[in-house]
Amino acid sequence: MIQAGTKKPPTSKLNNKTGISSLIIFVVLLLAWIAGFSSRLFAVIRFESIIHEFDPWFNYRATAYMVKHGFYNFLNWFDERAWYPLGRIVGGTVYPGLMITSGTPIFSGLTAISTYLLTKELWSVGAGLFAACFIAIVPGYISRSVAGSYDNEGIAIFALQFTYFLWVKSVKTGSIFWACMSALSYFYMVSAWGGYVFIINLIPLHVFVLILMGRFSNKVFTSYTTFYILGLLLSMQVPFVGFQPIRTSEHMAASGVFALSIAVAVLKYLQSVLSKSEFKSLFIFGVLTSSAVVFFTVVVLTYTGYIAPWSGRFYSLWDTGYAKIHIPIIASVSEHQPTTWFSFFFDLHILVTTFPAGLWYCIKNINDERVFVVLYALSAVYFAGVMVRLMLTLTPVVCMLSGIAFSGLLDLFFKEDAIQRPEEIEPEESSAVSSKLYDKAGRVPKMKHEQQPRETDPIGPNVRSIILVVIMLLLMLFAVHCTWVTSNAYSSPSVVLASYSADGSRQILDDFREAYFWLSQNTADHARVMSWWDYGYQIAGMANRTTLVDNNTWNNSHIALVGKAMSSNESAAYEIMTALDVDYVLVIFGGVIGYSGDDINKFLWMVRIAEGEHPKDIRESDYFTENGEFRVDSQGAPTLLNCLMYKLSYYRFGELKLDYRTAAGYDRTRNTVIGNKDFTLTYLEEAYTTEHWLVRIYRVKKPDEFNRPRIPVANRLVKSSSFSSKKNSKRKKGSIKNKPVVIKGKRLSKQS
Amino acid sequence: MKCILILIALSSFCFYHAGSQVRKPGVSMAERVQQLTEMANAKAVLKFNGNKFRDYVKATPRNYSIIVMFTAMAPHRQCMVCKHAHDEFVIVANSFRYSQAYSNKLFFAIVDFDEGSDVFQMMRLNTAPVFIHFPPKGKPKNLDTMDIQRIGFSAESIAKWINERTDINIRVFRPPNYSGTLALVVLFALIAAILYLRRNNLEFLHNKNMWATGALFFCFSMVSGQMWNHIRGPPFVHKGQNGQIAYIHGSSQAQFVLETYIVMVLNGAIVLGMILLTESGNRKRDPKKRRILAVAGLVLVSVFFSLILSVFRSKTQGYPYSFLFK
Repeated sequence: MIQAGTKKPPTSKLNNKTGISSLIIFVVLLLAWIAGFSSRLFAVIRFESIIHEFDPWFNYRATAYMVKHGFYNFLNWFDERAWYPLGRIVGGTVYPGLMITSGTPIFSGLTAISTYLLTKELWSVGAGLFAACFIAIVPGYISRSVAGSYDNEGIAIFALQFTYFLWVKSVKTGSIFWACMSALSYFYMVSAWGGYVFIINLIPLHVFVLILMGRFSNKVFTSYTTFYILGLLLSMQVPFVGFQPIRTSEHMAASGVFALSIAVAVLKYLQSVLSKSEFKSLFIFGVLTSSAVVFFTVVVLTYTGYIAPWSGRFYSLWDTGYAKIHIPIIASVSEHQPTTWFSFFFDLHILVTTFPAGLWYCIKNINDERVFVVLYALSAVYFAGVMVRLMLTLTPVVCMLSGIAFSGLLDLFFKEDAIQRPEEIEPEESSAVSSKLYDKAGRVPKMKHEQQPRETDPIGPNVRSIILVVIMLLLMLFAVHCTWVTSNAYSSPSVVLASYSADGSRQILDDFREAYFWLSQNTADHARVMSWWDYGYQIAGMANRTTLVDNNTWNNSHIALVGKAMSSNESAAYEIMTALDVDYVLVIFGGVIGYSGDDINKFLWMVRIAEGEHPKDIRESDYFTENGEFRVDSQGAPTLLNCLMYKLSYYRFGELKLDYRTAAGYDRTRNTVIGNKDFTLTYLEEAYTTEHWLVRIYRVKKPDEFNRPRIPVANRLVKSSSFSSKKNSKRKKGSIKNKPVVIKGKRLSKQS
Repeated sequence: MKCILILIALSSFCFYHAGSQVRKPGVSMAERVQQLTEMANAKAVLKFNGNKFRDYVKATPRNYSIIVMFTAMAPHRQCMVCKHAHDEFVIVANSFRYSQAYSNKLFFAIVDFDEGSDVFQMMRLNTAPVFIHFPPKGKPKNLDTMDIQRIGFSAESIAKWINERTDINIRVFRPPNYSGTLALVVLFALIAAILYLRRNNLEFLHNKNMWATGALFFCFSMVSGQMWNHIRGPPFVHKGQNGQIAYIHGSSQAQFVLETYIVMVLNGAIVLGMILLTESGNRKRDPKKRRILAVAGLVLVSVFFSLILSVFRSKTQGYPYSFLFK
């Protein structure tokens, strides 16, 4: 705002059109960057400058390790503090891109710029500026890149957009340089996020559709072959990816299209040699055989085991019921649920209702690179529908297409207006929130408009200005919506909780950090802490203690073992815990403050995952009442009321009266009085409970500590001899039992 | 599952021909197992009427488990669920019949209401379908009745339940469903045929309007959450207790089918408005038409966007913004 104001006078003096337009572009992008950056700071301002989410704690820890020990040691890092007793080879199981380049909110600005560049290549400068402003503040992207979140996805979107920009550029120019750049950018993406598979399937799809549409040219051929070879070699340098690009089905589309494009190029060459009729039959024959050969090679290689079939995570995108039946650990994560229309509107607001218009115009005015954006939109919208998490890949393309729609609209309505009243846009720049929208909206036509033949305006100035005002209002609504969503929904961290009391004042509940601090100060350095996997990264990052399972859910059976311990009764759980050398157990309990994301509410997933591996011992139906209800009150299933998780959550809770109206042991999360109140723990003892009971830590007793059962005298192997004291009231003097008797004798004389 | 047929009128008059079939009171256990195995070899699912039920299921001693499905397959009972349940049950029985684990420890049987209503009375059943496991020793307990309300009656869940009750693990093998593949092949053949027939007139493939409309429809259906409907299967609308119908789900976590259609229409209208507005700027058109297009587009965009915003607002708690309408 201020900068726009200060830089205004020199621009009006300059009558150089290119100078003005590049200045405007610069200012708009700068403002978009600033707006994007500042709206991501809500979390930091309202809470504290800490890492807020679960996953980022691992990234933080990994980065800290890399800074301390160097990159090559990082790649060989074996983390014995996670997945006890297995450990984890970190270097081979992470995407290191994030650790090398950090700073998520900064990346939002770079994302805006790369979105601008991509949209400019696809449509026009004006659309690009719109798209950049949209993506700077849209909640769908902010959700992943607020300050205090430290996650792969935040920077991955930048890499994604930049790779696409370079790819489109290389298709347009056909230059090897741009193709190499896009392969390099792809390499960065591979090192940052597992979603790189989206790129390596979308670009081949683009080439394939271009071939189908008869738009195949030498430019496409050059850029794709360069990109594919370089991208393949580079991506294999990332340790976690390794040989996957030539061994898994997810990457096979790329190689197939590579072979196909070479075949088509050969045929194109033959076309210049052969006569027309000869060529026609050869062409059809050639295309059919080459695609059949490619297809069957892939099928045969898959069948014989050279190529791994689709992995479950990707397969679940196509067969939507797959994950629910076969991989409960994927289905249990809320990010992997399908998306309601509400989430679409919540994350994208006006963009979701206008981007189809941009799509419409892209298809109507199709060319090589617009084919790309159409395919991008269609695939991303499908994936976003299947999984909430993939909303992230949809967001950029929606911003681009909406930018195209809005800029097309405003282009037309400002053009004639701008001639009549060029100063009309000035007073509208007063709104602070959406200033950049107005800036751009006002300035796009100025730089675009050329000498138009003047004609009478058929729409009329009144209707025209109403339309403009309505569009401005809609954009302003979008801006305030984004701010509202960002501040209310995406800036509440899960490490620190806020609660609002009746008078509206805010209380910060800092139980998590309290508990982790206690762990780090009061337990031995090598202590092993068992908790559900959600809290693994936090315990490792904040308390610096060894965990059994964490958010990198690579070993399902280990997680199932922890789930089994949590859902068994105390003695069965003790066996598992001693087998795993557990020293402390940490549970999250929200019953006192009414926190709904606690372990009892997640408990059924623990049971399900445990049942998947140990169907003999754990049965989900045991945890339900006869009517199939999951309840913790006195009607609840006895197995549930006696399992370890229940006991650890509700230990001593039965004595607690929260306020004078409710009964003792009233659980605020589940709004009921708990069923099993009086119980003691045999194998564990309470070590620490935080202020609001949110985190409870128990120490597992050593075998010699807990109450051993009394063995009747008759069964004792070591019999105690009957002993009666000779001391009585008369003889005060006692005697010592088995007192050594000194036999007086002669000293042995020296025998000489 | 949703419409379990309730046989309210458990017919008071039973077909109880005690004497019509010669009862074999003294059939030994070995003979019974022999007969059952022979029957099961012929057909994986045995059909029982009242007498056979008493002979093989109620008779003691037994050394075999038997899973009985109580059902009502007759058309006039109009039990749609029974048909599906029967299919799934037969799949499980056949999977067992042709599996490695096949033995004479487990048999599958069906009792139809119209053939053995006395059995229904004996078991005090008034709904169908019901799956009951009769263990080798003792009477069926509570858990021996499969809870189809909770776990459904797909073949996999039946097999899992059998595994829980009898420790016999049945790997469900569904006969491959060729209908989907066949439909695809037919579809491709049709498309190929149309392309071949119209090979001299392939202009319609270059019809951008057609492609654009298709793409837009795909976007609308995804954005309005049809995939969620497909996976979660929500009700069409919600009927309240006192008859009022809710079209919009009150929570932000769920939606009704009709609600998604409404959203789809609203989205479509807004996009149409945007396109009309843009088209009105087209200089080649008739000036009068341009004005109409502009006004129509403006109305469509503003009205329908306010509508969708107010629907959204009704689902969000504490959302402060609205446009035109509350």
